[in-house]
This record gives sequence, structure tokens and C-alpha cells, in this order.
Amino acid sequence: MDFSFNETQKEVQGLARQMLTDLATVERLNAIDQQDDRFDADLWKQLAEAGLLGVAIDEKFGGMGFGFTELALFVEEVGRTVAPVPVVPVLVSAAMPIQKFGSAVLKKAWLPRIASGEVLVTAALAEDRNEDPALPLTTAKSKGKSLLVSGTKICVPFAKMAERVLVSAKTSKGVVVVLVDPKAKGVKLTRQVSTTREPWFEMIMKDVVVPEAEIVVKADKGAAAMKWVSERTMTAMCAMQIGVSDKAMRMTASYACERQQFGVPIGTFQAVQHRAANCYMDVECLKLTTYQAMSLLDGGFEATNEVLIAKIWAGDTGHRVSYAAQHLHGGFGIDRDYSLWRYSLWARQLEMSLGTSARLLAGLGERIAAGKAYAD
Amino acid sequence: MKLELTPEQEALRKELRVYFKKLMTPELLDEVSQTPGEGGGPLFWKAMKKLGKDGWIGVGWPKELGGRGMSELEQFIFVEEVMRAGFPFPFLTTESVGPILAANASPRLKKMLVPKILGGEIIIAIGYSEPAAGTDLASLKTTARKDGDEWVINGQKMWTSLAHHASWLWVAARTNADPEVKKHKGISMFLVPADAKGYSLSPVHTLGDVRTNATYYDDVRVPADHLVGEIDGGWKMITSQLNRERLSLVNVGSFSQLFNNVAKWAKDTKLADGSRVIDQPWVQINLAKARTGLEALRLICYRQAWSMTVGELSMQDASAAKVYGTEFFVELYRLLGEILGQSSVLHRDSKGAFLRGRLEMLYRTASIITFGGGTNEIQRDIIAMAGLWMPRAKR
Repeated sequence: MDFSFNETQKEVQGLARQMLTDLATVERLNAIDQQDDRFDADLWKQLAEAGLLGVAIDEKFGGMGFGFTELALFVEEVGRTVAPVPVVPVLVSAAMPIQKFGSAVLKKAWLPRIASGEVLVTAALAEDRNEDPALPLTTAKSKGKSLLVSGTKICVPFAKMAERVLVSAKTSKGVVVVLVDPKAKGVKLTRQVSTTREPWFEMIMKDVVVPEAEIVVKADKGAAAMKWVSERTMTAMCAMQIGVSDKAMRMTASYACERQQFGVPIGTFQAVQHRAANCYMDVECLKLTTYQAMSLLDGGFEATNEVLIAKIWAGDTGHRVSYAAQHLHGGFGIDRDYSLWRYSLWARQLEMSLGTSARLLAGLGERIAAGKAYAD
Repeated sequence: MKLELTPEQEALRKELRVYFKKLMTPELLDEVSQTPGEGGGPLFWKAMKKLGKDGWIGVGWPKELGGRGMSELEQFIFVEEVMRAGFPFPFLTTESVGPILAANASPRLKKMLVPKILGGEIIIAIGYSEPAAGTDLASLKTTARKDGDEWVINGQKMWTSLAHHASWLWVAARTNADPEVKKHKGISMFLVPADAKGYSLSPVHTLGDVRTNATYYDDVRVPADHLVGEIDGGWKMITSQLNRERLSLVNVGSFSQLFNNVAKWAKDTKLADGSRVIDQPWVQINLAKARTGLEALRLICYRQAWSMTVGELSMQDASAAKVYGTEFFVELYRLLGEILGQSSVLHRDSKGAFLRGRLEMLYRTASIITFGGGTNEIQRDIIAMAGLWMPRAKR
């Protein structure tokens, strides 16, 4: 058992924190907000040049060859700076399954160009009233060796800027995982406006042809593969929530030390301190449960319960810390010239994405009832 | 970063589970459930001595002190398992006062007491609080005055838990009353044998059935080397003892077991309509909330135990563990009690009592933990100050 980060992990963390703090400044974020799409393409390129986009991509495909833990620590730093870069959809939800399940040809075609920042490949995990990508409503039927995919995915991040979208679809033999070209015939993208302004799209597919070479996982193993993707994406969202909530809490503590009322800093009031202390405990619980999920997934262990628990904490901590941070900042915190508002938006988006606390509690409860989640 | 136990640690846990299954006979369980959390009966002492003889109490203690030389993590695994087994292990003696005493007591006392602690032969009770000094502990008034080769102690302590089973007392007393000296810089620690002349006690019976005591020190004389550490240097030992106490207080062992027992009961018990208790969605939600909270607490505890193996336990983390853990327990007893419903308020002596009435008893004891071991308001002050760099709150 070791709760410390090793040298590699510290280096990744340090590099990411340094670059993102220097480059994702409030001025820069303000400028990006003037664009149609909340995406900092220059920053993405710089992160690629520093090697960070390939942190979990094998060396033979141009990456650093480290594991999921290092990638998730990078994601945590993106949360800490609310930088406009699609680390979770591209590096976790798309690149990881291509590397794990894809053919040699697919890996060679996409991984080096993802690591170099040349292309974006994203993933479509949500459907209307269906948040489990292992049980998609979207269908695929065979046409010769190709597949014809039909259905609607929603809230697909960066679909318009992506070369490919990872999509799960059901067939008569099970779930397949494929790469869909968002510019292919039969795909219709419609912009959706998310609370964080992360560019999201509804993606309607009607008999979209997916050539055999772009099938990532065949029908016999697709459902398990999408569970694999889900668990890693959920855990990465938890990591991002650590960065978001930790930073919002620390901004609040600093502000309370400066803001004077009744002639003293408001941070001297016990009522203010105690609300901040509650945030501290929430963030600790989120950190520990998330790091546990990261450690288990990285080691290739079964982690269904632990991922559920981490994501429940991500929802609860995000909710409580962001409201406490806004409240203790008073009017200052809602002023868009100060950056706290962005943290609140991200806390909410992460809370509501890929499983809310209520739904996941129900899922964990079912597992307890099935005898699969005793406290050992 | 690797948050799983090593195979050796897993093996140790399994070994302990088998060991405790044998140790916890129905007779012993009956005896200890009569005095919740206290022990002190003949079977309790027999089991304590066996734990000592089998080398468990000192599993994480250094070999030169008579331990097995493993780390604080193995020690924590042992405590988790002893609690899971439902044995009222006197962890304040072994996990909290013991290590402080081993590091600071005079060579003679250390040689006398450490083997007895690790042998399961003694309990040491803690004398900090006084009638007028609780949360503001540094204002304590009990005095110790040097007289030749002896210290003379006078005063009264409150909430001296386990004193009626203790052969020694760990007592904080004022050795410097100079008004120019800060309150906490005039306190020293003493070891007082329970058979000392001038020492007496009276019981205090509490809501949760746990007996505690008021203890009285009337010209109690102890030899000079019963002073532990430096004169006026007691505060640092008190705070470091309390940091260790806070970790022991929120050990998840017994609560994991309680959770499992309630979940199994709900799985095995049918309602009038033939469905299982656990088939009701609200029961599953209560269990899921309990499980989610327990998992975080388990990790908090292990992180602390790990911190102790690599260096110092940080103040804010010890306080966060204490506040989170104790407030979670209060919630846990309710979540689990709701599942049992009406029968959750059946006393252990009643017909139909579940799990020897543990849930009925626990909710009554739960009000102690949020203020005992340093009240949670002060712990939150510490978290804000040490963890978030906020100003020290005015007193």
C-alpha cells in the first residue's frame, strides 16, 4: 500500500500543472469564450509538444507509455485550471479503447496522430434517456463486411472537430464498438449548448457505413469493452472533479482571508471556517475514493464497486463544494470577471455526466442486494 | 501510488480473521456485551493476555520493545480485525498512550510498562478533562509540585474512562502557574499507579451504558521519574496522543461488520408478502449510502496509518478523519437502524433483539464521539487553519 505518487507521476503532475497554470490564464479563458467553440487549439498543440497528450499511449505509437494513473493525474490538473481542452473524451474515452481493443491497423492509424495533436478522436457515450453505453439503443446491421449504423447519440463532445467518433451500437449478436466518421454520409450533427460551453453535438446517424477496418470491438466482446470505457471515463471525470473542487475550495479559503467585513477578514469567523472545513473533508473523500479506483483500474483489477463509489463522491462533493464556494465568495464569486463561475459550471457538468449520485447509489444498492458489494 | 494491500497484508488479515473466530467464543461475546466497549471481565482479561502472548498487540511495534517489528499498517490491520470481531480492545492504551509513553517515559517506567502493555496485562486510563476544563483543555487546574524526590499531585479529573479497570493513569497536571507563561506551556505528564495513596474514583453512568469516572488526586505522591518527558513539555505529548486517538476512534472494523450483518439480515429476511427486506428500493439506497461513506472512511484510516509509517501524522488529516468518521457513524446507525425499523430499538436484554442489541446501544453511545476526543468544532477550526491556511479563530 502506497499513498504517495512515484517520480513519474510527480513529473507528469508537475509538468501539467506548470503548463496549464502558465497557459490557461483567466485572460486566455476569456478570449476562448469569444470563440464559437470552447477549445484552445494552441494549448492542445503545446500539450502535444510536451508529450502530455500521449502520456498513456504506447511509445511505439509516439506516446510516453505510462498508465491510466498518470493520465488521470493530468486530467486532474485540467480540472484545476478548467482549461478548454478535451482530455477526457479524446484521451480517455477514445484513445484508451483504441489502444486496448483496436487492430494493429487502427492503432497505427490513430494513436500517433492523437498523441501529436494532429487529430481529435472523440467518443459518444450518451443517448437520450440512456446513459449506459454498454446497452446502446443505436443499432448496427451487416451489409457485406461493413456495418450500417443508425441511431442518435447526444451530448457528444467535440464531434464537429473530430475525425472519428467512437460509437457503441447493438446488433443481433451483441454490442459492437466502431469508429464513425462524423463527416460520413448519413451523419447529422446539431450543436447543443452545454452549461460549461464545452462544444457538444447531437449526432443522428442513419444507415452510416462503417467499413470493417473501423470496427474496434466485435459483437461478442463489445458490451464488456464499453463497460471498460465507462469505468475509465467515470474515473477520469472524478479526477477532473478533484481538480475543480480542490481549486474552488482553495480560492474560497484565500478570498476569506482577504475579504474584510466588520473590520476583520471573514475567514476569522468560525461559521465561515467550518463551511470551508466541510469542503476539505468532502475533497479528501473524493480524492481517496478516486485514487483507489485509478489504482485498481491501472492494476487491471475488478473495480465496479469502487468506481461507483468514487463517482457518487464526485457528484456529492462537486455539488456541495461549488455551492459553498459561491456562497462564501458572495457577490464577488458570481462576477464573470473573476474565474470562480467556471468551476461551478464544471462541477455541475461532471456531477450530471455518466451517472448521477442518485442513479449510481441505486446501482450500488442492487449490487449489495446481489451479495456483490459487502464491506470487506 | 498503489492503494491495495500487499499479498502479505491480505494474508495477515485472513490469518487474523480465523484467529478471532476462534477467540470470540459465545461466552466471551456474552460477557463483553454486558459492558459495551469496556471489557474488564475475567474472560476479557484472559483473551487480552492471549492476544499479548500470541504477539498480536505489538504486531507493528519495534522488536527491541518486544513487538513483531512490522509497520503501523500491519498494526492498523490488527486493530481493524480486533474491532471487527467485536472485542472491546483497549486501543487508547495500546495504540495511543502506549507509543507516546514508549518514546518519552523514563527508562525504568518504560521497562516496567511496555511489556505489560504489549502483554495485554494493563489498561492505562487518561486523565485530561476536568470539571472546568474540557474543550479548553489547556486551562486545566490539577497541579503537580516537586517535593524532594517526589511529585505531589492535587486535583480532580472528569471522564476518566476505563479508570475502574486501569492499573495506571496518564495524568496532565500544571507544573507552571506563572501568569506570564502561556497556559499550554505549563503542563506536564505523569504516570500515576492506581493504588497510589490519595487517589480515588467515583463512577459516572452514561446514556450509552458506558461507565466512565471522576477521579480524585489528594496529595498523591509519585517518584520523580513518573514525570514523562520534560517538565512543562506535556502539551506536545497530549496533542500527539490525541492525533493517534482520533485515528483509533474511527477505525472501520466493527462498522464494516455491522454493515455486512444488516445487509445479510435484509437479504435473508422475508416480509409478509414473501419478498425480501432487501428487495425494497429504499433499503438498497440506505445500504448504498452506508457503503459509500464507509469506503471513504476506510481509505482515510489507511492513508493515516500509511502516513505514520513514512513520517508524521498531519494535524488536519487527523482532525478530518475524526470529524468525518464520527459524524458518519451517527448517520450510519440511523441508515442501518431504519432498515431494522421497530426492532432497531429493542434493548439487548429484550426478546427479539437483533445482533445483541448493538444498534439500539450504538445510537445511544454515538453522541459521545462527536465531542469526545476533542470536540468537532475545534477539529474544524484545526482543519481550516492547518489544511486551508485560514486565520486562527478568536476564542
